[in-house]
Amino acid sequence: MKRRTFGTLMASVAFAATLATGALAQDKPTMGVVVKIGGIPWFNAMEMGILEKGAELGVDATMIGPTSADPALQVRAIEDLIAKGVNVIGVVPNDEAALEPVLEKARAAGIKVVSHEGPGLKNVDWNFELASAKGFGETHAELLAQKMGGKGEYAVFVGSLTVPLHNAWADYAIAYLGEKYPDMKLIGERYGVAESVDDSRKTALDLMAANPGLTGFLAFGSQGPIGAGRAVEERRMVGQVHVLGPFSPGQGRDLVKAGAISGGFMWNPAEAGRVFVTMGKMLVDGAEITEGTDIPGLGVVSPDVENRDIITDNLIAINAETVDGLADLGL
Amino acid sequence: MTGLYRRLSAAFGPEVPGLLGFLVLVLVVFGVFAPNFLTGANFGSIAFQLPELGLLTLAMLMPIISGGFNLAIIYTANMAGLTLAFVLKQYGGVDAGYWPFILGTVLAIGVGALSGAVMGAVIAYVGAHPILVSLAMMIFLRGLGEFLTRGGDISGFPAWMATLGHGTVLGIPVPLILFLVCAVLWHILLTHTRHGFSVRMIGSNIRAAGYSGLHTRRTLILIYTLSGIMCAIAGILMLSRFNSVRVGHGEALLLVTVLACFLGGVDPFGGFGRVLPVVIALIVLQVLSSGLNLLGANQHLSTAVWGLFLVGVMILRWGAGWISERRRRGR
Repeated sequence: MKRRTFGTLMASVAFAATLATGALAQDKPTMGVVVKIGGIPWFNAMEMGILEKGAELGVDATMIGPTSADPALQVRAIEDLIAKGVNVIGVVPNDEAALEPVLEKARAAGIKVVSHEGPGLKNVDWNFELASAKGFGETHAELLAQKMGGKGEYAVFVGSLTVPLHNAWADYAIAYLGEKYPDMKLIGERYGVAESVDDSRKTALDLMAANPGLTGFLAFGSQGPIGAGRAVEERRMVGQVHVLGPFSPGQGRDLVKAGAISGGFMWNPAEAGRVFVTMGKMLVDGAEITEGTDIPGLGVVSPDVENRDIITDNLIAINAETVDGLADLGL
Repeated sequence: MTGLYRRLSAAFGPEVPGLLGFLVLVLVVFGVFAPNFLTGANFGSIAFQLPELGLLTLAMLMPIISGGFNLAIIYTANMAGLTLAFVLKQYGGVDAGYWPFILGTVLAIGVGALSGAVMGAVIAYVGAHPILVSLAMMIFLRGLGEFLTRGGDISGFPAWMATLGHGTVLGIPVPLILFLVCAVLWHILLTHTRHGFSVRMIGSNIRAAGYSGLHTRRTLILIYTLSGIMCAIAGILMLSRFNSVRVGHGEALLLVTVLACFLGGVDPFGGFGRVLPVVIALIVLQVLSSGLNLLGANQHLSTAVWGLFLVGVMILRWGAGWISERRRRGR
């Protein structure tokens, strides 16, 4: 009686899981992409791109999004992918150093590794970027300076102090502003809150309360502008305090239209998902990537062979005019 | 069948046969549905992933049996890891030899023991609730760790340390050996020593235990000190598995350790609990998680399945208790 009830319960759970994921084909190349965290719009869009391109190129590609942005969970997911015996592992790292040993293990098992937003990773075949750190940081800094009229106090958010890319953008943006707009002043150090709407909102509220002269937020991290924008809206500072940064247009559409978020630039996470699969397929097929190779989604590339980096500038502006179109793409 | 059930119950406790049955069921279901599930690679992956969670669960187990709680396990582990990392860095980082490692390990275990002893002393002498005390310690350690590392991570350790996290001896993963040794030690400590007896008595009724002549304060301090030492071991393992330490590594595992304890039949109000059923519960959780990953299921779904699993186990226990009660009254 006891065990039968349990059995039925478990079997139905497992069966539901199987139905949800569908049957797996055996002969196609397989690929698993481990992202920072599952269930947020940015990575939902990336998943869409991965599935779409996978179907197009005949690659059995799936995305794994851990339940929290904890590097330990990414390590676990990658170990399971190694056990599954996929041909390619893709990864968007939370913490580069924590992934090195397990990626080394993956490559030792003959698995190709592609990363995105992880320029410092060593155990990868290629890391690709849709924006250069310098271009991205400086483009945002210039727009912030224009909105703020080239003077006043501003604060900088990053996803976490351990996300090298966010910090590199912040470095370039701060350096650019310091050089070109000496009347603009940075408040405090940078705040590692921009992967969470709540943390960003709270920090923005606190900073506005503590610094009456604060008129700008530069938030690098997908949830940062949303949180800061909400804080600006709550405090009725729309038009006086400017929030800039990359974010998901669908999530921030209302805030942009209300003026609580002034704008920002992004690259398309769905495009990043497609590039993951394209590059995975190229690696499995043994295609060489060299100076001048045309990769769909990245354009003609000039790879940094020594550091295994492919860096391109594919920025798109998000503002009141473009936000609807981007949001309708599912972002 | 009933004979086997009785014998298993008598030898290892009433939880073991049910959990074993469950484990077999899960293995069979995933064996049928998930490709590559019944392979050496997959069981290797499970064996490498289990130990860090397992060691942390052991650290959580002893306080829970004593009717307490230790919310600080993750940060104690990472503080210990940071201590070892600091020592290794002092002695040359990548080029550090064995002696710095031994010194660092001793100091790391000392840090774990100290943080545990402080918690135990406050609980024993101030009489504050363990949840509050360990929460305070958790916040303190997180703040201290973020302050000391500025939120970043420390990496770059000698290559031979990877053996501890990723090596095998006679085909058995080193972390698994470490975990099994600790689990056996914990089992002996809890069932065959005066300390173990005192832990259970304190968990059942601390006042009665005190009046019966048990030194409850000393026992409480020892409980949390041992828990801290186990955290330190987990921290050292995490360091070698990720080749880096950061205060936040493994944050997501905190509540999973509590889940594993309760699945393993530990009484949430203290007094009852054994190591073996908890180890089996850990294996079931890990198998479920890896199996769902092989199916390519959503990570949030596997968390949901864990939750369902706990609810199911509670209903079953209630049902089993109800039936045996009816039988007794019937006679």
